[in-house]
Amino acid sequence: MGDYRVLNTRAPRIDGPAKATGQAKYADDFKMPGTLYAAILQSPIAHARILHIDTSKAKKLPGVKAVVTSREAGLIKYGVSPARYDETLFAHDKVRYVGDEIAAVAAFDQDTAQEALSLIKVDYEELPAVFDMFEAMKEGAPQIHNEFPGNMNAEVHQEFGDTDAALAACDLVIDHTFLNKRQDAAFIEPHSCLAVYEPSGRLTLYTSTQVPHYVMRTVAMTLQIPVGNVRVVKPYVGGGFGPKCEATPLEMSCGLLSKVTGHPVKMSYSREQVFLHSRARHQFYAEMSLGVMKDGTMVALKNKAVLDGGAYTSFGIATVYYSGSLLGGPYKLKSMKYDGYRVYTNKPACGAQRGHGGVAHRACFEQLIDMTAEKLGMDPIDMRLKNIMMTGDMTVNELDMSSLGMKECIEAIRKGSDWNNKKGKLPKGKGIGMACGFFVSGAGYPIYRSDTYHSTVVIKLSEDGGMANVLTGSAEIGQGSDTTMAMIAAETLGISLDNVRVYSGDTDYSVDLGAYSSRQTLMTGHATKEAAEEIKSKIALYLSQELNVPIASITFGDGIVKFDGGPGNFDKLRTNYIKEHRGWTDPPSGEYLTFREAARLAYLRAGTIVGTGKYKPPKLGGSYKGAAVGTSPAYGCSAQIVEVSVDLDTGQITVDGMTDAHDCGLAINKMSVEGQMQGSLSMGLGECLFEEVKFDSRGRIINPSLGEYKIPTALDMPKVKSIIVESNEPNGPYGAKEVGEGAIMPTIPAILNAIYDATGVRINELPVTSERLFMALKKNAEGAKI
Amino acid sequence: MLLPKFDYHEPATLEEALRLLSEMGGNARIIAGGTDLLVRMKLKVEKPSQLISLRKIPGFDAIIRRENHGVTIGPAVTAAELSKNELILDRFTPIALAAGRLGAPVVRNRATIGGNLVNARPAADLPPACMVLDTKLKLKSATTEREIEVGEFFRGPGETTIEPNELLVSIFVETPAPWTGGAYIKLGARKTLEISMVNVAVLLTLQDQEGIIVDAKIALGAVAPTPVRAFAAEEYLIGRQPSTEVFHEAGAIGVGMCEPITDHRGSMEYRCLMIETLTSRALNQAYQNALAWKP
Ligand SMILES: Cc1cc2nc3c(=O)[nH]c(=O)nc-3n(C[C@H](O)[C@H](O)[C@H](O)COP(=O)(O)OP(=O)(O)OC[C@H]3O[C@@H](n4cnc5c(N)ncnc54)[C@H](O)[C@@H]3O)c2cc1C
Repeated sequence: MGDYRVLNTRAPRIDGPAKATGQAKYADDFKMPGTLYAAILQSPIAHARILHIDTSKAKKLPGVKAVVTSREAGLIKYGVSPARYDETLFAHDKVRYVGDEIAAVAAFDQDTAQEALSLIKVDYEELPAVFDMFEAMKEGAPQIHNEFPGNMNAEVHQEFGDTDAALAACDLVIDHTFLNKRQDAAFIEPHSCLAVYEPSGRLTLYTSTQVPHYVMRTVAMTLQIPVGNVRVVKPYVGGGFGPKCEATPLEMSCGLLSKVTGHPVKMSYSREQVFLHSRARHQFYAEMSLGVMKDGTMVALKNKAVLDGGAYTSFGIATVYYSGSLLGGPYKLKSMKYDGYRVYTNKPACGAQRGHGGVAHRACFEQLIDMTAEKLGMDPIDMRLKNIMMTGDMTVNELDMSSLGMKECIEAIRKGSDWNNKKGKLPKGKGIGMACGFFVSGAGYPIYRSDTYHSTVVIKLSEDGGMANVLTGSAEIGQGSDTTMAMIAAETLGISLDNVRVYSGDTDYSVDLGAYSSRQTLMTGHATKEAAEEIKSKIALYLSQELNVPIASITFGDGIVKFDGGPGNFDKLRTNYIKEHRGWTDPPSGEYLTFREAARLAYLRAGTIVGTGKYKPPKLGGSYKGAAVGTSPAYGCSAQIVEVSVDLDTGQITVDGMTDAHDCGLAINKMSVEGQMQGSLSMGLGECLFEEVKFDSRGRIINPSLGEYKIPTALDMPKVKSIIVESNEPNGPYGAKEVGEGAIMPTIPAILNAIYDATGVRINELPVTSERLFMALKKNAEGAKI
Repeated sequence: MLLPKFDYHEPATLEEALRLLSEMGGNARIIAGGTDLLVRMKLKVEKPSQLISLRKIPGFDAIIRRENHGVTIGPAVTAAELSKNELILDRFTPIALAAGRLGAPVVRNRATIGGNLVNARPAADLPPACMVLDTKLKLKSATTEREIEVGEFFRGPGETTIEPNELLVSIFVETPAPWTGGAYIKLGARKTLEISMVNVAVLLTLQDQEGIIVDAKIALGAVAPTPVRAFAAEEYLIGRQPSTEVFHEAGAIGVGMCEPITDHRGSMEYRCLMIETLTSRALNQAYQNALAWKP
């Protein structure tokens, strides 16, 4: 790979100082004179008809400026995918889950807003509710949406090859089922928004989101404001992981209330409201059969999914497709069949979360591979190596692995964990397990059908030539995308990272679809690179004219410009620059022309120097129904080995070590890559061992707090050995691709396979609490006695 | 979530604190570390209009050795301090171990022993630890003073015998006999920041290094509305030669004392099984500690 100056290093994050010193502003830090505080009335009942809403008392409360319901908001349907717009800002005919939004108020302070909520009187006619996805599918179950009989929100049926015939011809077919639990993404910063509607008709939202672009579109649509008059600004964000990938009732309510009152309006969700809004990982039930030949060759895979979607669609259509499309790889299969069902229930809607749609089914599949290997007497690593795809391979469902360091990942962890000396040789109670996975590096298509660019970027040089300002609508949400873009711009321009500033997360800067599907490094990265290249060619052009040298002789790097590899004759330019900046502190010096001087010359010739870049993927994927979901210009992949100790007398699990290898193409910033790898492991560990959003019999969340919804603490995380594998991705900027989500794929099954190795018991339901494991051990021991 | 409005008092003497408490009656609450109280106030479960802080009362944050016979712990001593204090670690081991498992470092820096006892949650860490030691609580009001065995203090979840005008002013723990060892085990989902699914404190006294068990105390938390002593298991142990089998049997007897519930943290069945396992495990650990006893 290339000889880089900025890329492929451990450059410190450019937002580090602001965050470390507390200077970084998050949405809730924004204040404006005259700000009103808003609050949302949410249904206390899981399923009910709304008979009447009386807001008169709330409106009369001193300090209340506005109370809005569906009467003011209208009944414009919205959602994530235009194929399933099934929400209105406020419920009007029915509420469908505990937390469904009914009204919003704006008042001079938060206490008054809360008090006003308590004065809104809603008459409900309670309806029978259904909370379990299998119950919801049954005949006679309460119907949640008239338009979707049988509570069937979405169905997917795909088959590649003749799976039944292929399975019949296999030497061995093994079945497995798996059930995960509804997750909360547990980001640190709850949703928060400040909306400012100006008399000119312009609405600006300062909001904690992953997707300023989609928020802008949805808010414009639901509030009936021309989209050009809506600006979304994303300040620093304290994590998103998926649930912040869509416009929220919080954002729309703030916008509406600001429009109605003419005041800035602010609201933040409480932690409980974050749980109620949800839009995090679904509950998935997976049912699978894998057929193989005696020598371990994988042939056919049958996969069924049932997803508990909650009361609305959110990202759900994509999710139910992903559970099928992201399964087959990174293994070669001859045929694959998928049947997926997403079901409505009277619970908060589920949406996208890190590893969107793929995580639970990956957990099932990777256990199934281990079960098969055991039956065949093969080492699980050898079994995988025998079947993995390589660069240039295509999955049965036509996903193109334009680069795939899967083999390198597996070999790296085998060595890095000392697998060969551990597998099968550990004492009872200790275990080692592995798994693989792959993930998209940016969705191949936008969420709405469009020929839009997925990213555009503007780079503007400062007048003195000393600074490159990168303007992008992309979303830094803690993952480090600003630093990534700064590094790509600096490398391309041949200047130091200190001379690049990134302005991001603002729909006024550029078009960017945002931080989801692990897309920004590849897509925004491409656009950034292209914008920087345009700047470079403009500067080269003016230099060549001014100094009368061929363009091809000019090269940029290390903050200087060379002519035929040497200093050339640029005296005239230096004298001019110094003259123009007399008395300034840092006149350019040295043997070579500086980038600054060259850029200044370009400015003097042409005015402000601007470069623009854009990116959209080429047409990707097959032509079957749903072929778009799962496509990507590139795929990251990873392999992990987990070592556990199990306390056989209590069922308590300690994860002792994790070895993780991830192929992210060129690692733009190695530290950020490792951060994503380790963060993914911690999220996967939590989902595997602790996390579950729990409901009581009336659909109310029992544990809507980070005290009772248990994410891993520092003490639960083992030492992680992170190994970066760098294939050269032809479709990525400088060969780069994803790490943000793919790294979570193997974590759960690797832990489960290690638990099996330690105990001889297969767990197929999450979370693996000490109780679940202990009871399974007990049952197993009793079974053995009989 | 916002705190409701309240007035805040920081009396500089015990007398003043007691006077404020008696004057303000039911509207006032004592605040020590605030790690229970402020959470409940934010949830609007409690809405006291007056808070009386213990911060400035002299001696409330002190651990004082009483020559040869015990220790007095101020009610505002933090869990962090208890978990690190040499004397507590050495002679009053279950208290130090339990304090070291309470919450996480940030919580332990604020959480006090007084708050933990008065708060009286069934799953709290310090009550069982205090119950296996000979612990007396001194309660004072503006006009009264009384001392009560810790075992008689707890009445139910969040309920104790303390009166609204009373303050817990000190905790006295008697030094256990020679050849005593203690242990504390807490079972939760995570390695830290956990509410116990089951917890068990034990104290075991041997006749001498090779001798029989002369005294045994076992207390269990999160298995009944209040922490409970496993008297039958204790009686079974006394007079026996320590062994793994004996400890195992004691664990089995211990389960009989409990009436755990099924909730979202764990089922009754699992809790019962764990009482048995953890009791015998804690007894084994206490026995090892007793063997290592030094004058
Ligand atoms: C994140 C978190 C984790 C936690 N984890 C644990 C855990 O693992 N184990 C555990 O046992 N607890 C845990 N707790 C609960 C809490 O931290 C403890 O109960 C703590 O010991 C309470 O002490 P405090 O000083 O903060 O009490 P405060 O909140 O100040 O007071 C609690 C109650 O006691 C009363 N009170 C306090 N001192 C006196 C006194 N001297 N006389 C009379 N009344 C008094 C107060 O009026 C109040 O009603 C946790 C709490 C949080 C927020």
